[in-house]
Amino acid sequence: MERSLKQFETDRLESAKAAARLILASGTTSPRVGGVGECSIHILDDPCDIEDVCQEMERMAEVKKSWGLFRRDAAMLRDADAVLVATTMRCVSDPADINCNMCGKLVCEYFREAERMPDDPDVAFRGPLCIFRATNIAYAIDGMISQARNLGIDYGVYWSVGAAAMRMRILPQKTGYALGVAISVTEKSPFRDIPKRYGEINQRSMNDRMIQRLWPQFRSIYS
Amino acid sequence: MTILEMTSLVENGLDRAVELMALSARNSFRFNDRNTVKIISVQGDELEQIAEYCFSLGDMSPLAARDGRNLVQLMKEPSALMILGEKRKSDFNYNCGACGYRTCAEMNKAEEVESLTANGPVCMFKSVNLNIAANAAAATAHRLGLHCRVFSTFAFAALSMEIITDVDIAVSVAVSAARKNPFFNRHEYWTQEHWDEIFNREFPTYNRGFIGAVED
Repeated sequence: MERSLKQFETDRLESAKAAARLILASGTTSPRVGGVGECSIHILDDPCDIEDVCQEMERMAEVKKSWGLFRRDAAMLRDADAVLVATTMRCVSDPADINCNMCGKLVCEYFREAERMPDDPDVAFRGPLCIFRATNIAYAIDGMISQARNLGIDYGVYWSVGAAAMRMRILPQKTGYALGVAISVTEKSPFRDIPKRYGEINQRSMNDRMIQRLWPQFRSIYS
Repeated sequence: MTILEMTSLVENGLDRAVELMALSARNSFRFNDRNTVKIISVQGDELEQIAEYCFSLGDMSPLAARDGRNLVQLMKEPSALMILGEKRKSDFNYNCGACGYRTCAEMNKAEEVESLTANGPVCMFKSVNLNIAANAAAATAHRLGLHCRVFSTFAFAALSMEIITDVDIAVSVAVSAARKNPFFNRHEYWTQEHWDEIFNREFPTYNRGFIGAVED
């Protein structure tokens, strides 16, 4: 029997969901500093959940000029089939106690006493955070990237996703720092070849403007 | 000569493997496409110096001493140490606040705190870029079938001994072609009695229900 394109579309989405689970597995089993687990990875594979994050990112893009890139990230994220958010939880209040001075506080005792950034709209992550603990997230992210590459799945890594998800309070409460990995099972990676002004000019908005608007007009006139 | 002995095969293979690891670390994902990670590989005398330095930190850091002792064992068989370093100042202009300063400019202007292990404060994204590179190198080593472990102690030693210069933070990836994986299950460093003593001290409730009564 002939297969429909619609079937292909649902299978494609299903494969993205299955891949997200495998990518989560690789991110979870990647190394942790001192063998102490503290990261969690959360899958958003519902398009409505992803849309919520995109809208929060667009709200955040209004806050600061340097966060203008969040608009572009949101446009890319809307094309993603699933989003994984990796968090690190011990970096806020449980430093690694090795006095490494990466935070600039010399010893962990001073880090614990240091004043944290206020919960202001222009603060994405309330530092100072334990940099040594937070390296775990780098390992988690690269674990996910390497699995995505092995599976042949397109990926993009965005800090805007982590910041927006933290602001939406959909991550575990203790989260101090989060990063997002978006994956996509499509013929053209939506995370590459990003032209200027992608936030306003992209596949979706062009489609909306040319095909969804001009064609119906043409059709109703010439029918 | 058409016959190559196993020792030379393994040693040459290890050299190639370290080169491939450097390649994949250099080409790994990074934020902002800023390829500023510095990569060096250490073998021979310098490696021995790192091991001695770590071992000499015994009183201050039992972890460094343990790793130093491990490195001495490691060097008896073909092994190499890759050290990756990165500057601490932010060139991203993300203004995210993770470092404890409101903007990148404020962080870059803040007073530098120097120490033996790292110079702070460090940009979070610089650190993440560096450690993604380290993990990419480790992933390549893993795929090539090498024994591998990421150490911060050796990197701190290399930084304070100025084996790697011109960087503020560092991390190291040790690889080995030993017959047994030398990085995990390192039981040769302690006796059963010593292990039991430490375990009973650290986890008293495992053998004793009520820890209020101290017997000695």
